[in-house]
Amino acid sequence: MTDYEAVIGLETHIQLNTVTKVFCSCKADSWFDPPHTNICPVCCGLPGVLPVLNKAVVEKGVLLARAMNAEIRPLSFFDRKNYFYPDLPKGYQISQFDQSLARGGYLDLPIPAAASPDKQAYTRHVTIWKLHIEEDAGKTKVSNQRRLIDFNRCGVPLVEMVTGPDLRTADEAAQYLIRLRQLLRWLGISEADMEKAHLRCDANVSIRVRGETKLNPKTEIKNVNSIDAVREAIAREIERQIREVEAGRHIEAWTLEWDEDSGTLKKMRSKETEADYRYFREPDLLPIRLDEGWQRQILADFPELPLERRARFVEQYNLPEYDADILTSERKLSDYYENTVKSYGGDPKKVSNWLMNDVLRMINDQGLNPQEMQLTPDALAEILKLVDAGTININTGKALLQKVQESGKKPGAIVAEEGLGLVSDDSTIREVCQAVLAESPNEVAAYRAGKVTLIGWFVGGVMKKMRGKADASLARQILEDLLNEKNG
Amino acid sequence: MEICDLNALELARLVRSRQTSAVEVVKSCLERVAQVDGRPGSLEQMPLSDEDKKRVHAFITLTGENALQQAEKVDQMLAAGEDPGVLAGVPFTVKDIFCVQDTLTTAASKILANFTAPYTATPVQRMQDAGAILLGKVNLDEFTYGSSNESSAYQPSPRNPWNTDRVPGGSSGGSAASVAAGEAPLSLGTDTAGSIRQPAAFCGVVGVKPTYGRVSRYGLIAFASSLDCPGPVARDVKDAAAMLGVIAGSDERDATAARLAVPDYLEGIEEGVKGLRIGLSPDYFRITYPDPVSGELLSQPLPEEVARAVTEAAEKLSAMGADIVEGVPMPNTRFGIPAYFVISRVEAASNLHRYDGVKYGLRSEAPTADLKEMYKITRNQGFGPQPKLRILMGMYVSAAQYSEQYYRRALQVRTLIRQDFEAIFDPAGAYRLDALLTPTTPTTAFKMASLYGDSVLMQYADQLTVPANHAGVPGISLPAGLDNEGLPIGIQLLGADYAEKTLFRAARAYEMTTQEEDWRKQKPEVLRGRS
Repeated sequence: MTDYEAVIGLETHIQLNTVTKVFCSCKADSWFDPPHTNICPVCCGLPGVLPVLNKAVVEKGVLLARAMNAEIRPLSFFDRKNYFYPDLPKGYQISQFDQSLARGGYLDLPIPAAASPDKQAYTRHVTIWKLHIEEDAGKTKVSNQRRLIDFNRCGVPLVEMVTGPDLRTADEAAQYLIRLRQLLRWLGISEADMEKAHLRCDANVSIRVRGETKLNPKTEIKNVNSIDAVREAIAREIERQIREVEAGRHIEAWTLEWDEDSGTLKKMRSKETEADYRYFREPDLLPIRLDEGWQRQILADFPELPLERRARFVEQYNLPEYDADILTSERKLSDYYENTVKSYGGDPKKVSNWLMNDVLRMINDQGLNPQEMQLTPDALAEILKLVDAGTININTGKALLQKVQESGKKPGAIVAEEGLGLVSDDSTIREVCQAVLAESPNEVAAYRAGKVTLIGWFVGGVMKKMRGKADASLARQILEDLLNEKNG
Repeated sequence: MEICDLNALELARLVRSRQTSAVEVVKSCLERVAQVDGRPGSLEQMPLSDEDKKRVHAFITLTGENALQQAEKVDQMLAAGEDPGVLAGVPFTVKDIFCVQDTLTTAASKILANFTAPYTATPVQRMQDAGAILLGKVNLDEFTYGSSNESSAYQPSPRNPWNTDRVPGGSSGGSAASVAAGEAPLSLGTDTAGSIRQPAAFCGVVGVKPTYGRVSRYGLIAFASSLDCPGPVARDVKDAAAMLGVIAGSDERDATAARLAVPDYLEGIEEGVKGLRIGLSPDYFRITYPDPVSGELLSQPLPEEVARAVTEAAEKLSAMGADIVEGVPMPNTRFGIPAYFVISRVEAASNLHRYDGVKYGLRSEAPTADLKEMYKITRNQGFGPQPKLRILMGMYVSAAQYSEQYYRRALQVRTLIRQDFEAIFDPAGAYRLDALLTPTTPTTAFKMASLYGDSVLMQYADQLTVPANHAGVPGISLPAGLDNEGLPIGIQLLGADYAEKTLFRAARAYEMTTQEEDWRKQKPEVLRGRS
């Protein structure tokens, strides 16, 4: 069989999480609101109204452009994209066409071994072909063969971002969306929830014989609303195209619709010709002038990006890639980790272990926000230090996590209050050790006869009597001294 | 002379000093309307009676009751010692292209016949906030597309008060006619290619197209958004200046409204023209138009009477101390109309997309198989020939395969026209003009039905006004005599960006120096025989 490769480009629409819409002051997010409740004459396109640009939209767009390594245009324009559709109340969409907010850009996308065909991790260079601001249209719903329209979504700010045909597998497409979602949340510019359509994705898919460079006719997959579904739909479409070509048929430029319930693609329409949207400059808006001052202001607190931080964690803290990936999955968690490492001053891997095993479970189980936890990075660091210093043992340390989180008290204070500290008073432990030995003459004899592994058993006995609060290593030392003493 | 014949500032003074009441003023205006206006424009097709042919028909919607209530409020405020504003008790009419809350807003189109606006346009609101009283909505060409008002879906269309066989001009024809006939001292119009200045010239009143962005467009139903300018129509220059002062200024609802402070346009308005450099351009003394058969561009000089009105005005300004600069080149003037044809229609076609029968306005009752069919039938029934022509042409010249050839090229021409103005107003340039003096229109008011139907020639009526719209610069048209048929002739002063104050000063100087001339004593035909 011929060896084929897929050529995939993704067109994403990203709903920005601004408070108000892009050209009016209506509330932007209407996920929980009934239809037509967040509307006004402007977003409904009544006669005579005019759009006024929400600056926050530009600012969030600039953050994304910067993160995608795109060139930010100091002067960009809005254009009208003209077409008739009942959910488009003006009969045109205000978008950007030839001089949009940003130009070019790329993402070096890490593909983990698990998502790689030969189980070797690699990097895919994905170029960005388009990045612009536009307004959303209303939402159309078909119910009982009636087409219902909700204008709440009219004028919600979007960034449209389109990749080049650079992705080669369904897994790569999924990885791109995972990384994009991570980035959008990291930058705080979108909730990026595909299920709530904050992040929408259409996939353009074609195949070619491996080694060829030409682009064959593509199909466009629409209406996919989860990352898994994107992966699944693309995989199915690649299989279908290979079957078609193998059977000697041609791929036609169809638009396909993903049916979530049946997990199948359905043909929506044939694409005979490109629509002519008659783009022209939007005369109701001034150009966006991103002078140096404004750009500087927007980018003043531009964060280290997740993939950069991931690499740095590996480098700087000697973390395994696995740890670094989890610890940079989300910005607040990542900051939490790094603040703990700084406060702690000890082995970063130890912090990683505590965080990934115990703290992360608390966060996930209890739905906590790392930034607002009572168990602050300083508190976690303090617990680690208490364990290191032998003031408490590991189990006590782990129990402290929840106690601090619930009470907000300092770990040291809880230890003192509840008497959780290890007893390291030589004479107290010595007394208990003597008692344990006195109670176990057979074991003492066996030890002395050479069965030195029994030391653990004696230590256990001491710990049991002291309800776990003894400094175990001190107890061991005293026991050894006592056992060897009598011997000598 | 009746109360309604007084100018706006005089009325405001009388009302504010309580020598008359706002109610009296409104009553006087309503009485005048009852005498001269005839039946209002309506969608009902009724043949024109002889009586109809003698009336002005400025209005589509007269809001008399409401006006009287507003007037009472103004009087009550004054009685309570409060200040209702600089235009207290001054009635005004509004071109029915502006939205006014809870008022029918038709754009003179059947497609908006049942549209009641849920909000008020900014310039209308500012008039009301200054104490002015809305008398009603006046007629226009459908969606402002025309220069005669004959394209209104609301018939009878307005007629020229100076001669009711003539058109009032357009598209702010109802505005100019209502002011000329003494129905209201002020009217709010819009000017996209000359739509305030041309009817002002035809009706013998003052019309101002402010700098683009000087007056907010919020609430103005858009024609060509990059060219549309709301502006005043008044009976004299001072009234126009006062009105512009009220309606101008930044608006958080219009991103294209200038954030520049609004000067006091009345301050220094009578200081005269001494030292002002006023230019005359040969390019404004001829008109160029396409031969209807060959399409070749023909050129001919303006009618002698029109040209003479301008040169005589120049002489008078010169006599008052202005420096008249002759031979100012404005080489791209003749391309103004072709470029306008393209740009305005591209924007108009897009602006008309929203009238689809889905949300408001007309929706065809015809049974339709699908949505697209409903769009088509509704738009076919709702739009008159002028919107249809603009949609057809606008769609054509902005289509991907023609855009470069037409739309992009027209934008380049627009830039050239702008450069013509920049060169003559450049304070460091060769001409250093304060204003350019030109005729407003190639002819005086033409006969009804004489041009209607030839939308190309009709458009050429705007040849001398449209360059200012392309360039965004301000212009004012003011009366400068009557032709041998007794029809008003208008002259135009054009200025640099935001130079309205200079234009008012020059226009007022001309107005004062011609105050005693015989033609000033002439009255419009519909007012003759009154004491």
